[in-house]
Amino acid sequence: MPSAAYLLSRLLQIVPTFLLVMVFIFLFVRLLPGDPAIAMAEAKASDQQLAEIRERMGLNEPLAVQFGYFVKNTVTGDLGRSILMKRPVAEVILERLPVTVYLSLYAVALSVLVAAPLALFAATRANGPADIAIRGLFQVGLSMPVFYIGLVLLTVLGAKLRLFPVGGYGRSFIDNLYHLALPALSIALYTSAILMRNLRASLVEVLDSEFVQFARAKGLPRRIVLTRHVLRNALVSAVTLLGLSIGNLMSGTLVTETVFAVPGVGRLMLEAIFARDYPLIQGLTLTFAVIVSLTFLATDIVQSWLDPRLRQA
Amino acid sequence: MTTLDRIAPARPNRLSGFAARALKRPAFLAGFAILGASLLLALFPAAIAPYDPLAFDMTAIQQGPSLAHPFGTDGFGRDVLSRVIWAYRVDMQMAFFATVFAMLIGLTTGALVGFYGGIADAIFGRVVDAVITFPFLVLVIAIVAVLGPGLVNMYVAITAVNWVYYARLTRAEIMAQKAQDYAAAARVLGYSDARIIFRHLLPNAISPVIVYWMTDMALAILLGSSLGYLGLGAQPPAAEWGVLIAEGRNFIMTAWWISLMPGIAIVVTGLGFSLLGDSLADLLRPKGR
Amino acid sequence: MKKMIMPLLAAVFLTAPMAMPATAVERGGAMSFARYDDSVLIDPVWAERNPDIWMVTNLYDTLLRNGEKGALEPGLAEKHEVSADGKTITLTLRQGVKFSDGSALSAGDVVFSLERARNPDGPWGNLLASVTGVKAEGSTVTLSLKQPDPTILSVLATFNTGIVPKAAYEKMDGANDQEKAAAFYAAGPVTSGPFMLKEHQKGSRMVFVRNPNYWRNGEDGKPLPYLDEVDFEIIPDDATRILKLQSGEVDGAEFIPFSRVAELSADPNLDMKLFPSSRIIYAPINSRETKADGSKNPLADKRVRQALNYATDKSAIIRLVTFDTGMPMTSLMPAATTYHAGSEPLYPYDPARAQALLKEAGIEGGLDITLTTLAGSADDSTLFTALQQMWQGIGVNLKVEQVDSPTRGEKNRSGTFDIHTYGWANDINDPAQVTSWLGYYKHRQAVGTGWNNAEFNTLFETSMTETDPEKRREEYKKMQEIYAEEAPLLFLYETPFAVALAKSVRDYVQSPLGANDFSTAWKSK
Repeated sequence: MPSAAYLLSRLLQIVPTFLLVMVFIFLFVRLLPGDPAIAMAEAKASDQQLAEIRERMGLNEPLAVQFGYFVKNTVTGDLGRSILMKRPVAEVILERLPVTVYLSLYAVALSVLVAAPLALFAATRANGPADIAIRGLFQVGLSMPVFYIGLVLLTVLGAKLRLFPVGGYGRSFIDNLYHLALPALSIALYTSAILMRNLRASLVEVLDSEFVQFARAKGLPRRIVLTRHVLRNALVSAVTLLGLSIGNLMSGTLVTETVFAVPGVGRLMLEAIFARDYPLIQGLTLTFAVIVSLTFLATDIVQSWLDPRLRQA
Repeated sequence: MTTLDRIAPARPNRLSGFAARALKRPAFLAGFAILGASLLLALFPAAIAPYDPLAFDMTAIQQGPSLAHPFGTDGFGRDVLSRVIWAYRVDMQMAFFATVFAMLIGLTTGALVGFYGGIADAIFGRVVDAVITFPFLVLVIAIVAVLGPGLVNMYVAITAVNWVYYARLTRAEIMAQKAQDYAAAARVLGYSDARIIFRHLLPNAISPVIVYWMTDMALAILLGSSLGYLGLGAQPPAAEWGVLIAEGRNFIMTAWWISLMPGIAIVVTGLGFSLLGDSLADLLRPKGR
Repeated sequence: MKKMIMPLLAAVFLTAPMAMPATAVERGGAMSFARYDDSVLIDPVWAERNPDIWMVTNLYDTLLRNGEKGALEPGLAEKHEVSADGKTITLTLRQGVKFSDGSALSAGDVVFSLERARNPDGPWGNLLASVTGVKAEGSTVTLSLKQPDPTILSVLATFNTGIVPKAAYEKMDGANDQEKAAAFYAAGPVTSGPFMLKEHQKGSRMVFVRNPNYWRNGEDGKPLPYLDEVDFEIIPDDATRILKLQSGEVDGAEFIPFSRVAELSADPNLDMKLFPSSRIIYAPINSRETKADGSKNPLADKRVRQALNYATDKSAIIRLVTFDTGMPMTSLMPAATTYHAGSEPLYPYDPARAQALLKEAGIEGGLDITLTTLAGSADDSTLFTALQQMWQGIGVNLKVEQVDSPTRGEKNRSGTFDIHTYGWANDINDPAQVTSWLGYYKHRQAVGTGWNNAEFNTLFETSMTETDPEKRREEYKKMQEIYAEEAPLLFLYETPFAVALAKSVRDYVQSPLGANDFSTAWKSK
């Protein structure tokens, strides 16, 4: 396991980044023309309600002090009230977040299931016709917008063949494996194209490397060489890649949740934008930033655990 | 559409024999042909499209592909082929305008922070960390939410985020070039900083940026059409592929051609950019690797 | 005839279907229904958006009910009486009515609910502005009014006066009534309507179950509703919502895009319903003498506004936008509104007459007009394309300006537009609401047009305290005539509510006001 010191230093690195993230989000509402309190309130808010919002945001104070209020409110979980939902933003987001987390993990699992075997297959036949065909296919996958992949899957697998529901959300964990299959697959087809491309490249490199050649020369069976040496190395790059592609994944959920009527935070973001619900937009943007940076952090930790050499760096 | 899909920085190479080597690569030729054709369609849609893309024809509603309408017609009898062709103009513009300013700003900023380093570089590092902490699409649509939907606002939103990626790439290249002998020689000769940066370092650092730009234009089309589909990008009745797909969404079971054809256009154009980008990357990469 | 006493027997017969049903109703079962948007808070007082408003009466009954052809029927009050001076309303409550938890519905609950509904902070408080006090005595409730109010009985049949249980409601915590309402809703409210809320996963699904204590009887003489359960799924995407219905995952889907109505009507497994609505689509024309920039406004001339109306081929627009499901407007108000007058479509297509009117108004050599439309609205963009082609013929050069909804509202308020698209649906079964909105200058300058007609304004003010229904009808007739002649709007069309149901679902109704009524719906097995 990584040392406590490493974890601490990595955690501390997040602090300045996050302060800057907060500055961006803080400025967001202040860039709107007019009074930020009005932007953050319901259309028919009374003067008293506006005064409460001013108080909470400290709008009469200098900008730096306002930022202090913003950080304090955010850290204590007070993200304001959603105009659309008429409830605290934090509450609304927490209600929808599990859906998106489920969908993302499902998509990650599917991308690995699709990409790993194909990458291995292609890498062991590098530059052969099978390799070229697989790479070509994924190049096409990379050129397709996620919403379009979703539409095709929905029409063909959902509406025509009736293999999966055409949208919505299930009632239980197991039920959702079925309900969210198409949205997860839509995201997975895109991310697996990226994963497969990079995984193949790193596998080719490992297969060419001296220690694999050496292991082969020693007469170790091909299967053992593959599992012990090659896959372990490939795993490191796969984890890194998946961790770094969390942004892609989140962008993907935003689109597919809309196409498939999945009630997660991605669809909520679009609903908030069309309703001009600025407190909710702000809260959601922050939520996405938290998800991404936590994933980056987790990736670093897992990576250094899998590959101890990195810890010295 | 993030950090991942970036191409490994390649070193510059002499142009001699470039064309000859390029012409031997089928990927390069295919990409070049696709983009050439796309550019023609984008520049002269009026001459090429068989019908007016906006004119309703109530006598030809939702007709399947035929000789008169090779891609069929939509719910108002508009010719889908003509709409897809006119959309080349919008989408190719998107590919260009959503990326070119980001590239120019990124090149300049990246070159400056890479050359001078110090506090500016440290701040820049934090900005990069903060920007990549937002999913690209989320940040872009949040900015569109403030500015309002529309093409120009979309360019502004994408540029506001995207320049960071160019700057990061340029900075890394400039740092590498700065360590080279010729840069030290230029200093000894007493050239001004501006001259060293823009006449010596940048030309040597630019080719990976150009390669990345190619890929990025494909990504811009994906992003722009997604925003169009979601109602945050180009606005109807303008023909844009994402908007066309959204329009055909309702008829996907009965008149599939309305949404299928613009989708194919996206894939083919995107493929053109990636093929060209990938083969440029290979061609510009130093030999012996 | 100053007294209006509801004939009790007639009302009872009216609730029964006109013809004997071909098949007997079947009880029990669950119906699933795909909605276009989710409810936030289903509460009579704080319901603000349509997805909230249209669900309220499933959970909370009102004292009076809207019946066939706009007539009022008894509800929780079996009798009502208006005093001779029109300032006192006396309601006699039905005996033996219980809330869903089995507790008796008393006059105290009614007073409590009406007092809540009067809250001026609530979005609908102004509907009860004429009420000065509500008192209970035994099973009688008395409303005192400042002045006679012809709309008050309709208000007592409107969702915002739904009856909530005082005791259960007051147990809730909350700094103000809005927070209490949210807490009451979240706790699974005690209801007076045909259904109870069993579950609500926000953004995803909502489940109503049968209220076993509901008072109204069905055709079989047993209490309504027939269904045990209604399962709602939230599917905002039109195409997905329809696919869910076609694949049998749900039994009904609302807000079918008009472009799909013909196709779904032809589907043998579906019953495509077009319920008459009070929804109108129109375009306010800026009728002020000068534009916002100070220049002369050609649209201030009524002949120019008439010309634009004549130059608009409504039937073509109805075909293009509503796929022939819509109807041309025949008056300022939707045809389903009480006191609607006008049998002919306003301004039939007549480009020659339009041209003559423009000439008469001294407009020569073209006129530049900007149409402000909603960004992202396919209907608006179709409308613009069609109008542009139609008006070219009379020398009007139409340009488009696409804005989002808040900006459009802002332009409407500040008068910085030529013509913009707009829609309306009645919330209450009375003509005052729509007439005030569209034509009364003191209410937001006649839908932002700046049209200020003294005769119309006076007529409207008189009608607001007129208690004689015949005189009131006359006043409304006159107002509709003036409005049609003056044309401060581009009169466009009315649209129905398009709902597609599985063949097994019967007697589901969406009212002209939009309310989703599941109380008499049933499912054949």
